[in-house]
Amino acid sequence: MIGARWALVIAVALTLQSSLVAGIELFGSRGDLVVLVVIAAALAGGPDQGAFVGFGAGLALDLLVQTPFGLSALALSITGYAIGSFQGTVLRSAWWIPVLNAGAGSMLGIVLFAVGGEMVGQDDLIRGDLAGIIAVVALINMLLILPAVRAARWAMTDTRPRLSSR
Amino acid sequence: MLSSITVLTLDFRGAGFVSELRAAASTVFGPVRSAASTVFEPLTNAWNGMVNYDDLADENTELRAEIAELEGDAVRGADAIARAQDIEDATGLPTVRDLSAVLARVVSGPISNFDHTVELNRGSDHGVAEGMPVVTGSGLVGRVVQVTGGRSVVRLVTDPDFEVGVRHVLSREVGIAHGNGEGETLTVNDIAQGVEVQEGDSLTTSGIDRSIFPADIPVGTVSEVDSSSSLLAQELRLEPLADLDRLSFVSVLQWEPAP
Repeated sequence: MIGARWALVIAVALTLQSSLVAGIELFGSRGDLVVLVVIAAALAGGPDQGAFVGFGAGLALDLLVQTPFGLSALALSITGYAIGSFQGTVLRSAWWIPVLNAGAGSMLGIVLFAVGGEMVGQDDLIRGDLAGIIAVVALINMLLILPAVRAARWAMTDTRPRLSSR
Repeated sequence: MLSSITVLTLDFRGAGFVSELRAAASTVFGPVRSAASTVFEPLTNAWNGMVNYDDLADENTELRAEIAELEGDAVRGADAIARAQDIEDATGLPTVRDLSAVLARVVSGPISNFDHTVELNRGSDHGVAEGMPVVTGSGLVGRVVQVTGGRSVVRLVTDPDFEVGVRHVLSREVGIAHGNGEGETLTVNDIAQGVEVQEGDSLTTSGIDRSIFPADIPVGTVSEVDSSSSLLAQELRLEPLADLDRLSFVSVLQWEPAP
């Protein structure tokens, strides 16, 4: 059931990314809702959840683009694990902490994708407008992280009836 | 992480299941994506209209002046075109005009910041095959890289992995043009020093032996010439003739390279 909910969240994110977000450019760059979903999963469920969702969402994205298959899965699984691990060390609970984590996670996800791509022979992923791409993705994800974390918590809710222990 | 590296390695080694998986995903997801794009199109149009209004107004003024100039050139060029057609008919040489084409609509653009592909609403059921060139009335758009029954994916000329053999129209010198990313010019590295190339000169596909494109498809115009990058060759910057930011309808040329 949890898997089905995560599949739905990832499918909605991919649909919105390809039909709405991809058509809206800010300073020549687009947002990235797939990275947002992974960061939200990490913040809501910890490093393991972040890595698992990162792998699944990344693989789903890799099916729809022509970059190396598995590259998004690798970059996003590491991003999800890293953000989830960092979140576990935070003792305070404040609304701006997930927002900062969304910015940091966006930067990490984009950089890992670009560096990983260059390592497997994809030319020109590390290019002049990379900083602009990171800034736009981070800005949009920082604005949307709080509702995204709510969606992640919904996806993690196990609605199966619990057996009585009596 | 290990699973991701395994999958990456398999793709790097050319495992066939990747293209089959992508084709299946495109078949399943394509209609959903198209429907969602239709729903959200007014929003994206409103956003682009607000953000790009000044640029569009300036571009409109420039284009009107350019159209006036081109109307004059068309009259002057009509005679040359007629004479060239006579020569081609007399020699029996095949040209790009002889190729049949499939008209297709662009149903979705690049998904991410690192994606340089568009999706068309025509596929193998309509005669589209992998490797076919895609053009507009202005020039080369790209090449079909993935095909399913009803859809196909086109890699754009601006993709960093895209290469095309080109010919400088005036000097007939040939070189290879490479993409440099969305919104960027193409780079041509192999035009010999001493060949006179000026800004505004046109380059077409060369179509030389075993080329993956037929000859004489307009590719771009020279925007910059750098003669200092190498002792033997000049580096040219090429502005694509096709307007890749506003693709709506394209033609898929039913041409496949010789084996």
